[in-house]
Amino acid sequence: MQPAAIKYEPYTPFVNGLPPAMPALAGVDEIRMPDEIRVPVESDTDIVAARQKGRALAVRLGFSSGEATMVATAISELARNIVLYALRGEMVFCHESDGEKPILVITARDEGDGIADVRQAMQDGYSTTGRLGVGLPGVKRLMDEFEISSIVGRGTVVVVKKWKD
Amino acid sequence: MERLTGPTPELQKRFAMALEAHLTQGGEAALLEAYELGRTVLNERLGVLGVATLLQGALVAACERRPRETARTVQAAGSFVLECLCSFEMAHRSVREANTALRGLNQFLEDQTRRISHELHDEAGQLLASVYLALDDVARDLPAPAAARLQSVKTVLDKIEEELRRLSHDLRPTILDDLGLMAALDVLAEGVSGRTGLWVKVEGQREDRLPPAIETVLYRIVQEALNNVGKHAHASAVTIIVRREARRVSCSVRDDGVGFDPGTARSNIKGIGLIGIRERLASLGGALSIDAAPGQGTHLRVAIPLPMTPQGATS
Repeated sequence: MQPAAIKYEPYTPFVNGLPPAMPALAGVDEIRMPDEIRVPVESDTDIVAARQKGRALAVRLGFSSGEATMVATAISELARNIVLYALRGEMVFCHESDGEKPILVITARDEGDGIADVRQAMQDGYSTTGRLGVGLPGVKRLMDEFEISSIVGRGTVVVVKKWKD
Repeated sequence: MERLTGPTPELQKRFAMALEAHLTQGGEAALLEAYELGRTVLNERLGVLGVATLLQGALVAACERRPRETARTVQAAGSFVLECLCSFEMAHRSVREANTALRGLNQFLEDQTRRISHELHDEAGQLLASVYLALDDVARDLPAPAAARLQSVKTVLDKIEEELRRLSHDLRPTILDDLGLMAALDVLAEGVSGRTGLWVKVEGQREDRLPPAIETVLYRIVQEALNNVGKHAHASAVTIIVRREARRVSCSVRDDGVGFDPGTARSNIKGIGLIGIRERLASLGGALSIDAAPGQGTHLRVAIPLPMTPQGATS
């Protein structure tokens, strides 16, 4: 039997609408995770819904209230970016495990203009809020894993993971 | 640095209303409002103490409205409080990260300096030694007058060797790595005395070794301070005291020179090459102060907390 592998078509930047640089993400789209929760994000009320779903999952996985707050904050910042800069997108919540502890996975995806210079966007001071250590760099610091991939004209995908302490 | 502003009545009202919404309706919308409030307040340059004040004000108002269930009110406000503070948590983590990066950078610079210093000492020293041998070789085959001219070349070489040794030592004395801070300070003091005629006294526990990062920064500070005394103080004597206490190490450099006017101290401190040292100190959690008055000499003091070992003793 062939080992499971994610294959990329050459010269097609997206597989299933996803940048090829993120195999974990392609996996999210191809192999539906159990308990996967999807929330479309277009407006401020969707931010509330996304936070609510994400927080509920965090609580279900046994996260402390502090950890659940950090999850909600990450969702806020990622969803806010979608509403402000991409107009619409979606957030996906699911969980995995390292064998002992549960890991909450948040995927924020949009089909906006994309970010031309991701490295710059990840630096404090890129945006007015980033200056204070919030925004995308702030999310990275609150979470245990952070991946971002963006293609100009196609969109941005951010995947973050929070491990239960 | 940007000044932090204080809590305004308008903000106080918004906090009280948001907490009230959280307590009466609950739900994610109220928590998002709490988060947004905290974030706004951070944006408006209100410090974490300001947020604490606002939160407490809102909590007092909420409890006054529910005199019979204050404990439950405080309990229910918990997630609201966390939300308000989470943007400060992000900011706090960014400062910690920056501090770690600064420490890493200092370590990198120190490693580079050490490498260059050792290369100057060992490699360049070796090359010079072979030039001496070659010159001796040539001198044997030359008539006397030419050999005398070679001697003047050797005099220049002596100066170069001396200069290389001094440069290497100034960059990073090997003795600091091998024998520690106190021995390195002794050598430094001897050198300064020899060059300037200053009377330099070094006091401290000689057998103790401190963590390398602390020894390095203390050495650099004393080096810089002695430089300044030599340049500006017109002093005749300097006393250096290194004292190890239970939780910290302190170092004092006092001279009997002309001092300076504390009114212009700020610009003086900036002007005397202590900027890099302040940053390096900050990354170790240390502090530096300079006391001076015209005619009263200058007194520089440094304190650095010692890292705790797992046993609770200092190492």
